[in-house]
Amino acid sequence: MRDIIESALEAARLAGATYADARVVDSSREEVQVANGRLEGVDRSDSFGMGVRVLVDDSWGFAATRDVTSDQAARVAREAVAIGRASAMVAGPPVRLAPVEPASGTWTGPCEIDPFTVPLEEKLAVLIAADEAMRSEDAVSITKASCGAYRFRKWFGSSEGAYTEQSWHETGAGIVAYAIADSEVVSRSYPNSHGGGWRQAGWEYVIGLDIVGNAPRVADEAAALLNAPEVTPGVVDLIIDASQLALQVHESIGHPTELDRVLGEEAAFAGTSWVGIADLGSLRYGSEHVTVSADATVPGSLGSFGWDDDGVPATRDLIVTEGVLTGLLTSRDTAPEIDRPSNGCARADGWNRIPLVRMTTVSLEPGEWSFADLVADTGEGLYVETNNSWSIDDKRLNFQFACEIGWEIRRGELSRMVRMPNYTGITPHFWASCDAVCSRDHWQVWGLPNCGKGEPMQTAHVAHGASPARFRGVQVGVGR
Amino acid sequence: MMTPDEARSLAKAAVSLTCADEVEALVIAETSALTRFANNRINQNVAGSDALVNVRAVIDRRVGVASTNRLDDASLKACCDAAVAAAKVAPADPDFPGLPSPGPVLEVNRAYDATRTFDAQARAHAARAIVDESKQRGLSAAGKVRVAEHVIAVANSHGIDVGQAVTGTQATVLSAGDSGSGWASFLSRDASELHPSELGIEAAELALSSTDPTDLDPGEYPVVLGSEAVADIMDFLAYVGFSAKAYVEGRSFLSNHIEDDVMSELVTITDDALAPHAMGTTFDFEGVPKLTTPLIEYGVALGPVTDSYWAPKTGWPNTGHALPAPNPYGPMPLNLEMAAGESTLEELIGGVRRGVYVTRFHYVNVEDPVPVTLTGMTRDGTFLIEDGRLTRPLKNLRFTQPMVRAMRFCAGVTAERRFVGTEEGASLVPAILLEAFNFTGQTR
Repeated sequence: MRDIIESALEAARLAGATYADARVVDSSREEVQVANGRLEGVDRSDSFGMGVRVLVDDSWGFAATRDVTSDQAARVAREAVAIGRASAMVAGPPVRLAPVEPASGTWTGPCEIDPFTVPLEEKLAVLIAADEAMRSEDAVSITKASCGAYRFRKWFGSSEGAYTEQSWHETGAGIVAYAIADSEVVSRSYPNSHGGGWRQAGWEYVIGLDIVGNAPRVADEAAALLNAPEVTPGVVDLIIDASQLALQVHESIGHPTELDRVLGEEAAFAGTSWVGIADLGSLRYGSEHVTVSADATVPGSLGSFGWDDDGVPATRDLIVTEGVLTGLLTSRDTAPEIDRPSNGCARADGWNRIPLVRMTTVSLEPGEWSFADLVADTGEGLYVETNNSWSIDDKRLNFQFACEIGWEIRRGELSRMVRMPNYTGITPHFWASCDAVCSRDHWQVWGLPNCGKGEPMQTAHVAHGASPARFRGVQVGVGR
Repeated sequence: MMTPDEARSLAKAAVSLTCADEVEALVIAETSALTRFANNRINQNVAGSDALVNVRAVIDRRVGVASTNRLDDASLKACCDAAVAAAKVAPADPDFPGLPSPGPVLEVNRAYDATRTFDAQARAHAARAIVDESKQRGLSAAGKVRVAEHVIAVANSHGIDVGQAVTGTQATVLSAGDSGSGWASFLSRDASELHPSELGIEAAELALSSTDPTDLDPGEYPVVLGSEAVADIMDFLAYVGFSAKAYVEGRSFLSNHIEDDVMSELVTITDDALAPHAMGTTFDFEGVPKLTTPLIEYGVALGPVTDSYWAPKTGWPNTGHALPAPNPYGPMPLNLEMAAGESTLEELIGGVRRGVYVTRFHYVNVEDPVPVTLTGMTRDGTFLIEDGRLTRPLKNLRFTQPMVRAMRFCAGVTAERRFVGTEEGASLVPAILLEAFNFTGQTR
């Protein structure tokens, strides 16, 4: 593979590129989905190709091919240079790259049981058992169980002398029960909604999830939700579970601290940010209980790697420190705007996409509370679990989330169940209202394999660590 | 770039390599290029091509699917074998009706040389023309100019053997000042129809008129939705409501309401891939001819779209709306049209005493699927309407609204319609007036 990458880099140099990198990605994916006792799909796909990125005339160009040969590598390198020269026709300030020591070496993610070697029969047995266990509840009319796996191999080389090889597996599974009656649809999921739980791991992760053992509870809760009242609209003290809080971090801290968004590079599609460069070191993002890290070294996280797609080594950085904005997510071509080295957040979705600034494992650091103490201390309020829907404005200020389930908190205990509670807020007000975060005993990393950004659209696999936390005075029951 | 005939040959080769009771092979080849600009300069510029073979094998009503973009003989055979191996261990589906049989596919030419030859220099010229309109007004432009060609071919063991090429040209521009922004978009099969300066002017002028937005109290207001916003509603009606799968499972607003009045009589929605102006192919991803399918007619629910699996479960014919196998979503309409009315946009606004004009939505999501309750934000041009005219720009607003209910109160539809989306899934939509729309918040 090194020869093919060298062919691309040499062709780019000869065509006039002042910088070039080439990535070859070989990926496989398997998805198995069972619904209502029926196999809804078993799908295996493979994708292999190469992308070449160049700087020429101080502008970027990129071209990609699925024919990974030395001849094609040279051809797409020359095409990338031609595209870069076209970019220079509408140029801005020259692209600057933050310096980095040329990367070299190999990196492998954790995997005990290769999911691609587990027989399909074994996977189906787990899914069918989980699906059947959910259908024991009469009110549940649609049940789904799914598992999936990815295998990635990536080779990267740059004109600065970097050359790395990385390989890893990602594995996931989940179940969902839908209870439907009289034009009402409610759902309950485990371990998370929107595709279940995901980790950099092998089949051992699915075994550990015990989706079969959790299926009866999921079905019971789905049935109960059908008859549960909606949340009473108003302003309450809100405790958010770790999985929903992971998405809250993603949308209202992760995205707005991506430096390309801050700089307006994503304005037309994903949007910009309420954060500015000048805010670094001074902006009060949240209360003193809010410390947020970006860490690409968390073992088993979807946001971990050896080097990002700029060839920058995985690192840990504090984005928010006791409520104050102290960092941003950066790449080599954005970091010079804040006079810092890149903290390694450039990642591309496959061989035919360019690296963008993406989250790694962006986590709300744990506090010291136990969950039981937090509920007891809250007295009157609302506890919500598991995302149902999400929406946030283009500057990442005004958000609204709905969850699958909630429980009113009465006299310091979880009491009446409510269905599909939603809540809304403005990002800095919301995080300023955080006055308690649960301890590391309640903290876990949630894989999120569907983060969309960029044009052409890219889907990143990222992750967020979180534990339940409390927010004072939050508006709930919006539009109900 | 693979031709349709080459793609058909590849699909047939995959069918012949697969030892199963029934076999289907789908070939999707694409070449695309996208020039992206932001802060008044090109910031990303990419091109690439790919080709995928997707094989569905059926053995005793057991179905397995595999796909690959490695098209050498050995890799193709391995893909076919993987589909068979999956089928052999899959549980049988007693409801599986078998793969579809051939039908007459409308032959069309939807691939344009002007789009194929719209190269990096042409895209840069277009980007510059768009950007210049913002620069001249002291604004900052961001957006894209994208061209693509897709070749789709399907073959199966019952004789389906179809292939078509389609092209698409898309351009978008967001023009922004210190406190306001505007938006414009273009979509066509034919790049020669792109007039980038006009697009740049539309967005820039809208941005200037959006300067210094003001507050609006939450509440229910009449709203005039521009075509971009209407396209979002169409997309979500399709996603959660117009699929036969959702209909059968009781998750659709159509469930138990066929032939009921579900929307205003001004609302007629059809999926029509056969119209002369339509984008995309005239067959679906099973190779079945797409039928012009009325979904809502003068407000009355007529039925969902179907595919070979879900048509027998509904009793309706196969309308040709399959997605690639395996397809957990069910059939989906990709050529939605909302029928034109008789009004101009000015007349819709002129009929509102106090309400809101929305250029487009942002980050819309479903809170409740049956009533199609959506929440999202407005973006890039939101205005207060007072006494029939736009009086002041508004800060971006959050809405939380059951859309089926909103469409019951559709009181006006423009004669002019626009394509919104991509060539793979475009809606042809007017602007509309809804008498009641629930705005639940606003941003800073």
